[in-house]
Amino acid sequence: MAEPDDRPAAEPGRFEEIYDEQVVSIYRFVYARVGNRPDAEDLTAQVFMRAVEQLDTTRDRGQIVSWLYRVSQNAISDYWRAFYRLPVIGADQVAPGWEPAQPGEVRERPAEGVAATQRVRKVLEQLPARYAQVLELRFLQRLTVAETAKQMGISHGNAKILQYRALRKAALLGDFDG
Amino acid sequence: MAELDDAALEPRAERFEHYLDALLAGGRPSPDDIEDTDEAEMARLAAEMSAAADPEHGAPDPAFIEQLRMRMRQADEGIAAVQEPLPVRPGISGRAGRVRVTRRQLLAAAVTGAAGMAAGAAAMTVVRPVQATEGLIWDDGTGLVPSGFDWVSVALVKDVPEGGALRFSTPAFGGYVVKLNGEIWALSSVCTHMGCTLQFRTDWKDLRCPCHGASFNLEGQLANGRTGWRRNGGYRGDQRPYAIDLPDLVRPDVQVRDGHVLVKTPHF
Repeated sequence: MAEPDDRPAAEPGRFEEIYDEQVVSIYRFVYARVGNRPDAEDLTAQVFMRAVEQLDTTRDRGQIVSWLYRVSQNAISDYWRAFYRLPVIGADQVAPGWEPAQPGEVRERPAEGVAATQRVRKVLEQLPARYAQVLELRFLQRLTVAETAKQMGISHGNAKILQYRALRKAALLGDFDG
Repeated sequence: MAELDDAALEPRAERFEHYLDALLAGGRPSPDDIEDTDEAEMARLAAEMSAAADPEHGAPDPAFIEQLRMRMRQADEGIAAVQEPLPVRPGISGRAGRVRVTRRQLLAAAVTGAAGMAAGAAAMTVVRPVQATEGLIWDDGTGLVPSGFDWVSVALVKDVPEGGALRFSTPAFGGYVVKLNGEIWALSSVCTHMGCTLQFRTDWKDLRCPCHGASFNLEGQLANGRTGWRRNGGYRGDQRPYAIDLPDLVRPDVQVRDGHVLVKTPHF
């Protein structure tokens, strides 16, 4: 069945193919770094809407994946700049246009699930027992401050202060995100 | 980081708990609860720990995946030149009584408006013809400056159900006509979070955002935020409060004439 084909080289539907293949990985990559669903959705949407406008779908798969992670990383950096009170630099300036993968560069996503859980364990192990306990109750068991306070036999106010000190100490340990 | 005693730490710990509370409830934490660079480090650590400790390991919501697919498909199919707005923090948009029309909303309204007209032209009587959007020239990026206003008939008074809302669409924006206790007003259907189109739920009598689940009452106020949640002990089958405060919906000016509901609409 021969039909005239005057379409451009990049097939229509190619975006969707890339989208189907990559969206869950990109979302998980972002989520692991911003820690909440609404922001992870916003940033993931930004990445793919940018891809529709700017991504050259005739590139090979490795380069496309590389581009997606680079744009994601820039979006995450911009997100955190707001918390650090740093001026936002647009992803355009950080990654102008097209950035090919380095020769031999592997840009597959790191395993987020298991490795991340181990990282949490590692942080908790390095903390004094009370600090580890308060973080475990709040982050792993997902208790409220009130429940945490009750469990630890301290006041509500002291639980807030304890978790603050614990996070402060943990942040000082550094290199959590490797 | 210098060591601080408990008394000095208390206000900081209190505010930081706002960040943690939003984060651990699965909501959107605000940078406004972060005091300095040290706390930003703590916030980032907390975000990464929270994600890592999530039993679902960050599995995306299937509804979100589908919704983004539709947005991409539309963009890919020729609305590609239209920029999606970046996420807006509360307080930036939505001045009461004024409709700020973005290029995207204008085009979106033009597209759905054309389809709506074809589907049911009788439902929308344009009092005065509104300039076609074709051939418009506008500044890139900034909001449009209207060259004038029209009063556009969007519904017949008798068609608006008491205690309910009727969807309308003009070439400039979409919204709902609301009738409550005999009074009539209009609300923009643009969610004040990210601009998604709100849907009226007849069962709950609210305007619900399909993107992140904000619900607005018929007065245009966020109904399932944390304040309302605390006051009422929950919201209509939702499992958690909507995590951030949102400005009220925009209320376009309305008048009723000869049985028609007219909405003030900018043209360009």
